[in-house]
Amino acid sequence: MTTMDIPEAPDLARMRRDCGARLREAMAREGVDALIVLGSNHVAYAAGVSWPLGDSGLAHADRPVAVVVAGDEWPHLFMPFREGALPGAHLPEDHLHGPVYLEYDEGVRNFARLLADLIPHGAVVAVDECTGAMRREHKALFPGGPPRDALSVLSSAKVIKTPDELACIRRALRITERTMADIAEMVKPGVRQIDLSARFVRRAFEEGAQANLLEPIWQVMPDSRENGAWTTHGDLALPLLTTERELARGDVLWTDVSISYAGYCSDFGRTWIVGEDPTPAQRAQFRRWRTILSAVLDVTRPGASGADLTRAAIAAAATGGASGERPWLPHFYLGHGLGTGPAELPFVGTDLGDRFDEKQILEPGMVLVLEPIAWADGTGGYRSEEVLVITEEGWTALTDYPYDPYDPYDPYDSHDSNAD
Amino acid sequence: MPTEILPDNTALRSGRRERALAHMAAHDLDVLVLGRSANVRYVTGARQLWVAGTRPFGPSCVLVRETGAIYLVSTWDEGVPDDIPHERLFGLTWNPMHLVDELKGIEGAATARRVGTDAMSPNFARLLPLAFPAADLVDGESAMRAARRIKTPDEVTALRAALKVAEDSLAAAVAELRPGVTKQQLSGVLLEAAAAKGVTTPSTQEVVWITSHHDGNSTVHEGDLVAFTVGVVAGGYIGEVGRTWSVGGAAHDGLYRRWEDLRARLIAACRPGAHGSDLIAAYEACGEPLPSMPVARGLGLGFDPPVITPDLPRTADAEVLEPGMVLTVTSCVWQEGSGTVIGRDAVLITADGPEVLTRRNDA
Repeated sequence: MTTMDIPEAPDLARMRRDCGARLREAMAREGVDALIVLGSNHVAYAAGVSWPLGDSGLAHADRPVAVVVAGDEWPHLFMPFREGALPGAHLPEDHLHGPVYLEYDEGVRNFARLLADLIPHGAVVAVDECTGAMRREHKALFPGGPPRDALSVLSSAKVIKTPDELACIRRALRITERTMADIAEMVKPGVRQIDLSARFVRRAFEEGAQANLLEPIWQVMPDSRENGAWTTHGDLALPLLTTERELARGDVLWTDVSISYAGYCSDFGRTWIVGEDPTPAQRAQFRRWRTILSAVLDVTRPGASGADLTRAAIAAAATGGASGERPWLPHFYLGHGLGTGPAELPFVGTDLGDRFDEKQILEPGMVLVLEPIAWADGTGGYRSEEVLVITEEGWTALTDYPYDPYDPYDPYDSHDSNAD
Repeated sequence: MPTEILPDNTALRSGRRERALAHMAAHDLDVLVLGRSANVRYVTGARQLWVAGTRPFGPSCVLVRETGAIYLVSTWDEGVPDDIPHERLFGLTWNPMHLVDELKGIEGAATARRVGTDAMSPNFARLLPLAFPAADLVDGESAMRAARRIKTPDEVTALRAALKVAEDSLAAAVAELRPGVTKQQLSGVLLEAAAAKGVTTPSTQEVVWITSHHDGNSTVHEGDLVAFTVGVVAGGYIGEVGRTWSVGGAAHDGLYRRWEDLRARLIAACRPGAHGSDLIAAYEACGEPLPSMPVARGLGLGFDPPVITPDLPRTADAEVLEPGMVLTVTSCVWQEGSGTVIGRDAVLITADGPEVLTRRNDA
C-alpha cells in the first residue's frame, strides 16, 4: 500500500476549481463548446454543488440544472429553492439562476431564451438527457442541430479524482463505517431487518451524512444457489430488499449501504453472521475471498488494465478449485468507480465485455470499489467491498473496516503493494 | 410490512394499467419504453430498489399496447407480479447493445409505428431505432402524465397510507424538538421513525429548516421557528406533510393567523373546474408574497402533474383541476425578524370539492 496526499478536510473551493478545469479540458478534447446537464450526480460535478438527494420522481419537478460553457471558468446553475440552504452560493451572481421547469413546454421555452444569451451561436452542445418537452422544443433549445451525448465528456472528467474529491469520499466512508460499527452491535437473533435500516439512517445523519443514497440492504443468503431467488442468469440475486423479516441465529447477511458527504458517495459491503462465529467452512470461504482480493490487488497499479484485474481474480478463484469461474456477480462487476455517482468509470468485469476491460487502463487518482465474491453452497458465501484509490506506485486503501466476525486482523497489513 | 417482497396488489396494478393503455391509445402509441422509476412502478407494480437522485435514462420497462404484454429489466423475480412471466424479465445490463438485443425480441417491436419513451438521451436516440426499425420515436411522457394525473381509488388508498407514515414520523421528530437539538439529529429521528414503519425510502431528505436563522446555524434555540417538511415513499407513493413549530414561549400569533388564512384559501381553491392559477391568486388575495417554491404539485408515484408555480403562468392558467387529482399544496408566509411559517397539505379533488388528506396536526 502506498500513501497519497489526501487532505484531512476537503477544500471545496479548490475542488470546484480543479473539477471545473478537468471538465473544460474534457470538453476541449471532445470538441464540445457547451454542456447542459440534468442528472443529479452530473449537476453536482459540473456545478460543484450538493444537496440532500430525494426521490427520483420528485427530482423531475424539483431539479437543479447546470450549464458549462467553454471559456467561462464558472458554471451556470439553475437551482430550485432549497429549504434553509443555498447550494451555489459560491457562484457569481450572474451565474446562479432560479429554477427551470424542463418538464413543461413553457419552462423549456423560457430556458431556451436564457440559453440563447449564454451559449454562442453555432456552438457544439452536449446534453445528458432530454425530457419530453425538451424533445418537442428541440429547435428552440438546440438551434445548432441535435445535441451530442454529454456522457463521455462527463465520464472522462470524473474518472480521475482530485485530492479534495478523495477527501470527500474518504469522509463519506468514515461516516458510513462509524455508523455500521454501531449496527454490527445490533445484529442479534430476533432483530428485524428494518430495525437495522431505521438505526442506520438515524446514526448516519448523526454522524454527518448529507443523505442516505440507497435502501439499506441486509440480505439473508440462501443455503444454496438452488434455494435462492430465481434469476435470469441462474446465479445469486443481490440486492434483495429489506422487509420485517426477523434475523435468526446463523443467518449470513450480505450488507450494502451508501450515503453521501458533500455530494460524494460512500460504498460499504461486509458479510456478517447473526449471533454465531463462522464455521470452518465459512472461514474457508472468507480465506478464498481474501485470496481473490489479494490476487487482484497484486496487479492493481497504474498502467494495468481492467482485464488484468479480472484475469487475476479468475486465476485465484481457480486455485480454490473452481476453474473458469468469474468470482463476482454476473449482473454487476468485479469493480467500479465511485464519485458523485454511486457507480461510475472505471468498470471492471461488466457485460461490456473483455475488450472493454482491456481498454480500461488504471491511472493515479482513479477510485475503484472491488467487490469479488466467494460462494459454496451451505456456507452463505462471502462478499465485501473494498474502496481504494490508484496511486503513482500502486494503490491506497480508502475503506477502513474490519472483517468481523470472520477475521479481525488488519485487512491490508500483509498485502502492501510497496512490498512487491 | 410483510416479511416477503411483494408487488403492488392486483386491483392497484390493473387500475393503473388500464389507464396507461387507454392513454397510449389516445396518444396513438404502439409501444411505451419507460425509464423513470415512477412510470415503471405505475405500469408493472413491481417493487424495485430505491436509490436517491435521478437515474440516467435507459429503458427499464416496455408496454406493448396490442398485447398488453409488459417486459421489465429485473435480474430476479422477487417483487415482480406473476403476470410478468420469467421470459419477459431482462437481466440488468451495463451494455446498451445487450438491451437493444432484448428489445428486438419483443413481439411487435419490428412492426411498431410509434414508440414513446418517457425521456431520452442522445445515445439511446441512436440505439433505439435498431430495436424498433419501423417506428417514429416520440415523447411518451405526455401519455404517462395523462394517465397518472387522475388517481384510481386504490391509488388514493395507497396515498393515505403513505401520508400516515409521513405524519407519524413527523410526530416522532417534533417530540424531540427542544433548544439545543440540531437539524441533523432531528432529521435522524424522523428518518428512523419512518424506517421503523417499514419505509426506508424518504422522498426528501431536507426535512428540517430553522426558518428564523439566516446564519447557517443548525442548532435550535428558544424562540425559533422550525419547519418540518416530511416526504416518504411508501408502497411507491409519496406522502408529504409540512408543519412549522415555534420553540419555547414565542407565540408568533400574527404569523400563524396569516398562515391559517392562506392555507384555508388555498385548500378552498382545490375544486373541480378551478385553474391552477387560482392557487396563485389565493396568495395574492391574502396579500402574501408568492413563495420561492411551487405553490402546488401533483402527488402520486413521485412527480405527477400539475406543477403550479408563478414561474409558469401560462401552464398554471391552462391547468384545470378535476376530481381524482391529488395535490400537495404549500402555504408559506414570511415575516422579517420572525421567519417563515410553512405548511404542506395533501388535498384530494372530489366532485364535491377539496378533501384534505393530511390531518390538522396543530402547530
